Order: sequence, then structure tokens, then C-alpha cells
Amino acid sequence: MPLLEIKGLTTEVAGYKIINNLDFSVEANELRVLLGPNGAGKTTLIAMITGQFKPSAGKIYFDGRDITGWAPDEIFLAGISRKFQVPNMYETLSVYDNVMISLQGPRKVFRYMFKGVTRAENERIWEILDFVELAGKASDPADTLSHGERQWLEMGMLIASNPKLLLLDEPTTGMTEQGKQRTAQLIERIAKNHTVLLVEHDMQVVRRLGKKVTVLHQGQLLAEGPLAEVVENEMVKAVYLGKGRH
Amino acid sequence: MTINLAGGGSTPRKVRRARLIPIWALILGAFVLSLIGTSPHYIGSDSYVVGLIGKFLCFAIFALSIDLIWGFTGILSLGQAVYFGIGAYMVALSMKLNYTLENATRYGSNIPDFMEWNGLTEVPAFMAPLLSTPVAVALALAIPTLLAFIFGVITFKRHIYGVYCAVITLAEALILERFIVEYQAYTGGFNGITDYSNLRGAPFLWVIIAVTVVCLIGARALTHSRIGTVLKSIRDNDVRAEFMGYNVANYRIFVFCVSAFMAAGAGAMYAAWVGIVSFLDAGPMFSVEGVIWTAVGGRATLIGPFIGTFLVRGLEFVLSSSAWLSWLSEYWQFFMGALFIAVVLWIPDGIVGTIGNWLRKRGTGTLSQIRDDQDRLAHDRQRDWDPAGGTKPGKDPV
Amino acid sequence: MWQQLFMQCLNGLGVAGILVIAAAGLAIIFGVAGVINMAHGQFIMVGAYTAALVDELGGNMFMSIPIAFVVVALLGLIVERGVIQWIYDRPLETLLATWGVGIILEVTMKFIFGTLGRKVDWPDLLDGSIRIFARPPHFPYYRVFHVVLAIVILAVTFYILYRTRFGLKVRTVRRNRSMASCLGIDTAKIDMLIFMYGSGLAGIAGAVIAPIKAATIDMGFSYSVNSYMVIVLGGVGNLLGIPTGSFLIGEAETLLAFRYNTVIGQLLVFIAIVIAIRVFPRGIFGYQERR
Repeated sequence: MPLLEIKGLTTEVAGYKIINNLDFSVEANELRVLLGPNGAGKTTLIAMITGQFKPSAGKIYFDGRDITGWAPDEIFLAGISRKFQVPNMYETLSVYDNVMISLQGPRKVFRYMFKGVTRAENERIWEILDFVELAGKASDPADTLSHGERQWLEMGMLIASNPKLLLLDEPTTGMTEQGKQRTAQLIERIAKNHTVLLVEHDMQVVRRLGKKVTVLHQGQLLAEGPLAEVVENEMVKAVYLGKGRH
Repeated sequence: MTINLAGGGSTPRKVRRARLIPIWALILGAFVLSLIGTSPHYIGSDSYVVGLIGKFLCFAIFALSIDLIWGFTGILSLGQAVYFGIGAYMVALSMKLNYTLENATRYGSNIPDFMEWNGLTEVPAFMAPLLSTPVAVALALAIPTLLAFIFGVITFKRHIYGVYCAVITLAEALILERFIVEYQAYTGGFNGITDYSNLRGAPFLWVIIAVTVVCLIGARALTHSRIGTVLKSIRDNDVRAEFMGYNVANYRIFVFCVSAFMAAGAGAMYAAWVGIVSFLDAGPMFSVEGVIWTAVGGRATLIGPFIGTFLVRGLEFVLSSSAWLSWLSEYWQFFMGALFIAVVLWIPDGIVGTIGNWLRKRGTGTLSQIRDDQDRLAHDRQRDWDPAGGTKPGKDPV
Repeated sequence: MWQQLFMQCLNGLGVAGILVIAAAGLAIIFGVAGVINMAHGQFIMVGAYTAALVDELGGNMFMSIPIAFVVVALLGLIVERGVIQWIYDRPLETLLATWGVGIILEVTMKFIFGTLGRKVDWPDLLDGSIRIFARPPHFPYYRVFHVVLAIVILAVTFYILYRTRFGLKVRTVRRNRSMASCLGIDTAKIDMLIFMYGSGLAGIAGAVIAPIKAATIDMGFSYSVNSYMVIVLGGVGNLLGIPTGSFLIGEAETLLAFRYNTVIGQLLVFIAIVIAIRVFPRGIFGYQERR
């Protein structure tokens, strides 16, 4: 059974179908790359999976449960974490606290009240800070970090929450070539133990990852398969790769 | 499904974190509070200044309650005086009822004068429980908290905050004010509730100080704990917090109730201390004044509201009492208006916050230098190791 | 009985007219420039005193409306240049700063005009009422005038926003501020002009309110709150939000005040609004922001 399954999903905004009758699934422990030209509905799809928007029709199943129409925090607790397009964190908190807030654990107000940071949690936070190479800046407020460091911190926060499915929405935007390579490396390492759905524009990063890709176009599934096959697909060439960098 | 990551271990595994109660704060706080607490002995128990100190402490707790929701959670409420006012009116009504039982009014009856003027002949049944002091205190604390809970459920659950929350709370305060004036048979109306005994004096001053300490330590424990970190994260980025699985609305409701409880406590003590309450203590103007005390002192700091309150109210007192500055007190309102603008334009972080920023900048000035040095070092190292890098002259990097 | 009820409904329409005039400027400032102008009520107060001054100098209300518009628009210009232009990016703090502006205006006006209110007379043209039924109450002409003026103001604002080049720029700024400035639109100037226009409308509101309630120093605050309630209920996503919110609040308050009393009426309307925003978190004609 696939971890995430989307059936007949449709979103309409002002009569225009951003996502049109989409069927799509991601297996457990897979790294899937989502491709598509601007306006293909990639970010909208992510927003619907995480409960930011409600679909007009269709169902979203996650881990065998129907999560259509759930609130964002409920979907998170079901095991889906999302990385936003722009770095999105708590600016005045320290790097350490940013990760601490994201740790897996109870989220209810009263169960959270007198809970300190346990030894195991502390270990875990440092493990993650090492992983994203920010251990040296643990005490700094997050808004002193550079753009690339912020992206990594956010990925660290996602790992801290130990999700079943990670949604990464263009994590390499605005990075230098070197930063992109490091990020791709980080994603590969994350993907060893997690299911990842990655939205990516940069073909070099996609090539480097070399995994199964799904191409969306005008809210519909255009092609799906290993990168090498998809690249050869005539329709894909026509709508996307022909215009983009090749 | 935990991932095991290669442990680096080379970096120091300790995060800089302030103590729950720093030693200097403990010593300084104990000193200041004992100074305040013993003040009746050397300036006279019924002196005007002692009266002011108790009053200001109540105001400062009120400002602290605003700081909790505004400074730490990012909810701007302009109706906090509603909770202060209800707490104050409950206690004042209770004291007035008890007072008139023992001291008959001019016309010889045993009900409060404002009820008599409005044609009531006996205390209404729904007010009878207030005759018992413990019940009155319990109601003074419980009703505002409950009201805050209801209000929070209605608004925060529907993602209403920011401007909309500010405007609605403002209207709430305005309506309570009008309500008090309109139903004068039960509230004393425009004149407020006056002429009941008060508890001004050394013993009750110690009670106020004790409550202040409890509020301060409670607020510190709350904001310093894990839940406080969540609250700050909601202030910084509520969308992210929601996508991290936090039910943002519940946290907002929780802190709103805590804050209302604190404000109600301050109001209850205020009514007992000064012996007069009026509709102004529940109105929008007083709410906004509390916000400005917090802003002047420094929001998101706990000592800020205290400093702001004592500074602004103290200045008002000095201006109005001093012989050759009293002409200035005519323009007190003008000064308040200018203060609002000045704080927003020039010191948005308040006095304490600005000083804190300045100290921190001095601290991190060297730290960012270290960081830059490290970056340069890493960069150089990378260039050394990169075969295509600049070490081999005459070859363009790929 | 039914006649009374009908007359109350008509009166409610008149109250709604005043609310539209008072809230229109505020809604434009809040909707476009994103400023929470708490001094709006005090702007109305300044407009009312301007009308009182014109009245004393022998003019009538039809003269005081344009004069109040210009005077308060200039006042708005001073406030915008002096205070607000520095804090556009901190909307909640514009609330505090403009609150301070409001206090300063009240103190200054008290200093100039004293604490006593000023009465303003109606122009003779509006003295009288329409006899709908044989018995009083009749429907006074000034209520008709309020409704007509509200419609005129909405129409003019609609024309400016949707039919002129300036309006196009305003709508661009409102949709996407940074994009608009990239396209070479001087957003600071747009904000300034919008703030002036909105302030000017507050002046008009003051000029028409002065004859029915007299100009007093502390009249402003409740108009601020009422205007904000209109915005909260109606929303600022669309110009229709103002008349809708005003109509609902005006009618409800008038009818409830007729049935119970003013305070209960306001309390019930407040509760109704709080419940209504559970259904429409950004107002009935809210602008749904995408995050």
C-alpha cells in the first residue's frame, strides 16, 4: 500500500481548475521528485496535502487514513511535515530552540506545561544540529543565519519532528551552486530513512538525485517514471524541458 | 523510525541559556520589594505616596498581564481593562455591601447609597453571594477568566487576531463602560462605587507585594518554560507553528486566560486598596494606557511593564504635585499623546528592550566577528581541497 | 405599531448613512494603506468643529462640507508625513501611534475651543420632514440627505478606485505592494494621497454629524469604534463591504434601541458581530489573503 495516495483531486479557484482530477501516489521510503513548469499546481498540491487549502473534490489518503479536510496541525500529527518555499522559522528564538520546538512529542497545552527538555531530547537536538551543520550556532537567534543556513535549519526542524512523509517545496531556491550541492547531499541523507516528496526546479539537483520523477502540467499528471525515461517523453519535452534548461 | 546520524562531538554541546531566576534579579528584586514593603514605616502608613505605591503595583501587574499576551504571544488586546474592571467591581461591590450593613446610609437603610437612589429597597438576589468575601474574591477571579475563555474560543479558533482582535476587544471595553454607566442601580453608574472602607496600610501592602512576586515568578516560569518557547514561536511565525503540529488557537486561549486571571487579580487588589472604582477602570482608555506602559518599559521583558508603569505614572504624579511644575500637568494628556508616538517611532522595544539590545549587540559584535573568521577559514579550506579550485593557477573553476 | 416599526427601519437607514460616511474613509485607509487609524474619530471631530466655525462665520452646511474636507485632508497630510510614513510596515503599531495623535488632537482642540460643545444649525433647506403617515413620527429631510450623501460618497470613491488611472495604481498597490513598486509606481505617494482622501472623508462626516449631535471634544472615540465595527463586519475586500456593514449595524442598533435601550442594543449588536465573524473571519466582503 502506498504511503500517500491521492485520488481524483480537484481544486477550483474562481472557475479555474488549478488541480484537475489528479491521481498520484508515493510509496513508503521513496524519494520522489515533483516537476512541472510554473503554474503546474505543485505548490497548490503541497498546500492541499498539508491542509492549507481544502480540495473541491477528491480524496487524500495517508498511511491508510482519509485525511481530506483535516486541519494543518492534525495532518502534521498524522506524520506529514512541510518545508515552505521561503525559509520559515521562528526568528527571535535561538537555533537550538527552533529545533526543540519541532521535536516529536505531545503538543497539547496542558501536557506541555511543566515538561522540560529531557536528556534524550537534548541528545537528539544536538544530533540534528550536527546533521545540518549548525551545532556551532546553537545559541544564536535564527534571524542571524544566512539564507542557506536557514534552509538547512528548517530541514533540521522537519527531521526533528520525525515525520513519516517530508514535503520539501523548492529547498534550493536562491542558493549558490555550492549550497545547492550541499542541500542535495542533505536531501539524499534524509531520504535514507524518510519518505520525501521534493518539488524542485533545478534540473542539476534532480539529475544528481536521479530518482523517480513525476511531471505535472496544468494540474494533471503528465508523466511518471525514472528521470531518464521522462526526459525522453515527447510530451514532457514539449511542455517543459524544451523550454527550460536542458 | 529514528535516524541515527553520525555524531560530530567536536563542537561544544552546551546552549547559552539564562537561569530561571538570575541571582542579580533575585537580590535586586528582594531589595526593591523590601524597600517598598517597609515604606509605611518611614513615610507614614497613611501617606499619599504609600497609597500611590500600592496602586502602581496593581497597575504594574495589569501591565504585566498585557505583556504576557502582547509581548510574548503577539495578541494585542485593547480590552484588558474589562478583566481588571470586573475583578475590581466584584470586590468593591462586596466591600460596599458589607460596609453598608454595618454603617447605615444617611437615610438609615442598609443597602448601598446608589441602589437607594435608584429606588431599590433591598440588595438584589443575584448580588447576595457577594456578601461573603471568599465568594467575592473567587468570583472576581473566575468571571474574567471565564469571559476570556469564551472570547478566546470564539475568536482565536477562527484565526481572528491582529487588527481584528484589537478592534473587537476595544469595542468590548467600550460596551462594558457604557453598560456600567447605564445600569447605575447595580454598579453605581457614573460616580462609581465609593465610600466603602479600604485596606490601605502596611499589612495589605505586603499582600500586594506577595501577589506581585507570585505573578512575576509565575510569568517568568511560564515564558521561560517550554510552553513559553511555543508562545514565542507563535508570535514569531504562527503559520509555521501550526504546520509543526501546534494547535495555535489553544495556546492563544490558554495565555489569554492566564492574562485575564492576572488582570482580574490586579483589579481586585486595586479596589480593596484604593477604596473607589469607577467605569473608567473598565474602559478602553485604561486598557490602552496599560498597553503604553508596557510599550514604554519594554514588551517581551518581564521587568519592562513595572518600569514603564512606575515611570509614566510616577512622572504624572511628580508633575501634578510639584509646585513649580504643576502648570505642566495641565498638558499631561498632551504629553501622553506625544509619548505614544515617540515610543512607537523611536524606541519600539521600550526602555528595557533597547538597553537589552544594546548589551546584546556589544556581546555579539565579537561573536559575529568570530563567525566571519570561521566562514573565511572554511572557505579557504574548501579551496585548498577542491581540485578545480583556485590552487591550480591558469585553470577556470567549473 | 407597524407604522412605528416602519419608521424605525427608515431611521435605521439614516443611521446607516452616517455610518457609511464615517467608515468610508477609514475603510479606504485601512484597506489600501494598511494603517489602523485610531485618530479617525478625532478627524471627524475636527471636521465637526470646522463646520461649527463655518457656521459661526455665517456659512451653512453645504459650504462647510467641502471646507471640512480640505481642512481635514491637510491635517491627514501632516499626520501622514509626520508620523505614519515611518511605520507603514508595522500595522499594529500604527494603532498606538495614531491613538497618540488622537489624544493630541483632542487636547489641542480643547485648548482652542474650550470644553463646551458647539451647536450647528441645519440649513433651512433640510428643515422639515416627509409625512409618510398622517401621525408622527415623520421622516426628517436630513435623514434623506444622509442616505443620499452616503450614496454619492460611495459612487465617487467607486469612480476614483475603478475608473481612473490613479485608482488602478491604488488597486495594484493593494494587491501586491512590492510588485507595484517594482513596476515604477510610487507607493509612498499613493499611500499619502489615499491617507489624505480618507481623512478628507472623515472631515465630511464631521460636517454632517455636527448639526445632529453638536460638535464636542470627546465625540470622536465612539465613531472610531463604530466605524471599525462596520469594517470588521463588512470587510475591506470590496467597496460593497462598507454599505453592507453599515446597513446591518445601523438597522440592528436602531431597532434594538427602539425595543430595549441603547446599551442593550449595542451589546446585542456587538455579540452578533462577534458571532458573525466566526462565519466571515475577514468580514462579509473580506479580502482573502493567501499565505
